[in-house]
Amino acid sequence: MSAIKKIAGILWSLMGIGIVPLVIMQAMKEIAAKPSEENWIFWSIVIVVLMPIISFSLITFGIFALKGEYDVLE
Amino acid sequence: MAQNVTNVSQTEEISSTRRVIAASSVGTLIEWYDFYIFGTLAKIISEQFFPKDNPTAALLATLATFAAGFVIRPFGALFFGRLGDLIGRKYTFLVTLVIMGGSTFAIGLVPGYKAIGFFAPAIVFALRLLQGLALGGEYGGAATYVAEHSPTGQRGFWTSFIQTTATLGLFLALGVILIVRQTLSVPVFEEWGWRIPFIVSAFLVGVSIFIRMKMSESPMFVKMKKEGKTSANPLAESFKKKDNLKMVLIALLGATAGQGVVWYTGQFYALSFLQNACNIEFEQSNTIILIALVLGTPFFVIFGALSDKIGRKYIMMLGMLIAVIAYRPIYTMMYNEADLKQKTEIREKTNVSEPKIEVKGTDTVTTTVTKKTFTDGTTYKETVKTTIPLDEAKKAKLAAAGKLKPETKKAVILPQNLYYKMIAFVFVQVIFVTMVYGPIAAFLVEIFPTRIRYTSMSLPYHIGNGVFGGLVPLISTRLVEASRPAPGLPPADPLAGLWYPILIAAVSFVIGTLYISNKTNNMDVE
Repeated sequence: MSAIKKIAGILWSLMGIGIVPLVIMQAMKEIAAKPSEENWIFWSIVIVVLMPIISFSLITFGIFALKGEYDVLE
Repeated sequence: MAQNVTNVSQTEEISSTRRVIAASSVGTLIEWYDFYIFGTLAKIISEQFFPKDNPTAALLATLATFAAGFVIRPFGALFFGRLGDLIGRKYTFLVTLVIMGGSTFAIGLVPGYKAIGFFAPAIVFALRLLQGLALGGEYGGAATYVAEHSPTGQRGFWTSFIQTTATLGLFLALGVILIVRQTLSVPVFEEWGWRIPFIVSAFLVGVSIFIRMKMSESPMFVKMKKEGKTSANPLAESFKKKDNLKMVLIALLGATAGQGVVWYTGQFYALSFLQNACNIEFEQSNTIILIALVLGTPFFVIFGALSDKIGRKYIMMLGMLIAVIAYRPIYTMMYNEADLKQKTEIREKTNVSEPKIEVKGTDTVTTTVTKKTFTDGTTYKETVKTTIPLDEAKKAKLAAAGKLKPETKKAVILPQNLYYKMIAFVFVQVIFVTMVYGPIAAFLVEIFPTRIRYTSMSLPYHIGNGVFGGLVPLISTRLVEASRPAPGLPPADPLAGLWYPILIAAVSFVIGTLYISNKTNNMDVE
C-alpha cells in the first residue's frame, strides 16, 4: 500500500504541473475565437482562482505522498 | 446510590449537549438561509440593482454571485478561524452571526438602481462580500464548538445536526420565498415583496443571537487557555508546519472537494437542470427540490451516527463513488421524463392564443401563449413576448444589432406520477449528499488539534465547498454551452455539465480511498 501511495504521489504532482499549460492554452484558444466579456470573466475565474488551488495542492500533496508522509495513515 | 448519581450526571450531560447543538444549529441554519436568499433571488436582485444595459453593474452582478460564493469564503475562514483559535469559539461565531444578519437585513433596505444609481449595485456588492466573509467564519466555529462538547464515539452523531443546517437553510429560503410570493402575487413580489425574506432575517438572527449569548465557551478551549496552550499564531501553525499542512491538503483533495461538488450537484444543479434543461415550471421544480430535501435531511443524522460505528471514510467514499457512477443515468432519466419529443401530443387540445398587444412605456409588447397537452398528462405552456420600440430609429438600431428577437418562456407541468418520479430522482441525489456531508464535520474536527482546529478545518472546508462546489453552476453551464453545435441550437449533450462534478468527485474518491484513515472516529480530540 505504501508503495502505491508513493507512486500515486508522482501522478498527483504531474497532474498539478500539467494542468497549468492545459488550462492556459484552452483559455487563449477560446478567448481568441470569441473575445466576449463572458469569456474573459469565465477564464479569469478559472485561471486566477481554481487553477492555482488545484495545481498548488496537487503538486504539494504529491510531493508529501512521494516522501511517505501519508504512510502512517491507515 | 452511586448508580443513580451516574445516571443523573449522564442525563445532564446529554441535555447540555442537546442545548449546545440546538443553539449552534439554529444560528448556522439562519446564516445559510441568509446566504441562499440572495442566490435564490439572484434574477430579481439583478433586475433591481444590476441593470444589464450598464456593463459595470452587470460585471458586479457576476462578481457578487461568484466572488462572495467562493473567493471571500476562504478569507472569512482564515480571518475568523484565527480569531476563534485566539479568543475562543463562542464570541467568534457570535460575531459572524451579527455580520451575516446585519448585511442581509441591509440588502433588504437598499434602494434600487433607479433611485440611487450606481451606489445601489456597489452597496449590494459590498454587503454580499460581508455575507461571504461571515459564512466563511461560521461553519468551522459551529462544527468545532459542537464537536468539542461531544463525547468521543458520538461526534459523528452530534455534529451531523450542524450538517443538516446547510440543507435546511436552503429549504427555509425556498419556503419563505414561495410563501411570500404566493401571498403577495408575483408582480408585487417582484416589485418590492422580494425584500421581505431579507428583512425577516433580522428577527431570525435576533433570536439566534439571544440564544447564543447564553452559551458557554467550548470546554476544550477553556482548558487549553487555562493551561496557556493556545496558539500564538494559528495561521502560521496551520499552513507553515508540514505535519498540519499535509492534513489540510488531504482534507481538501480527499474529502471536501468531492463533497463540495456532490453537495452542489444534488441540490443546486438539480434545480437548475429541472428549470433550464427540463423546462419544469417554477413552482413545480422548487417543490420537487423542497420535498426531496425534507425527505433526505434525516439521513445526515443517520450517516453521521453510522460513521461513529464504522468510520467516516467508508461512508464518505461510498457516497462519492455512487454519485460518480449514478449521476449520468439519473439525469438521463430526469431528462427523458420531461422531454416533450418523447411524448405524444393531443392535437385537438392544443390552444394558441390571439396575440395580445400592449403599449408599455415606449415599447409595444406582443404576447402569444401556446398551450399543449400530452397523452401522459403532461401540459406545456409557451409564452412568446416580442418587445418593439415605438421609436422607429431605435427599432431600426435594435434590428440591425439583432436584438429584436422574441423572448420565449417555456413551462412544462408534469402529471402527478412523473412529479413523484422526479422527487425520487432528486431524493437519491440528496442521499449521496448526506453520505458525503453527514460525517465530514466530525472527520475534519478529528484530524486537527484543538489549538488550531478552527483555522485548519475552516479553510479546506470552504475551498472544497465554496470553490470546487460553488463553481458547479458556472462550469457546468459552460460545458453544456460548449456542446451546442452552433449558437441557438440545442446542446448535443444536455448532460455535459455533469462531467465537472463527476471528474472532481472521482479524483477525490481515489485520493480519499488511498490516503485517508478510517480510524478517526474513536480518536481523542483533545
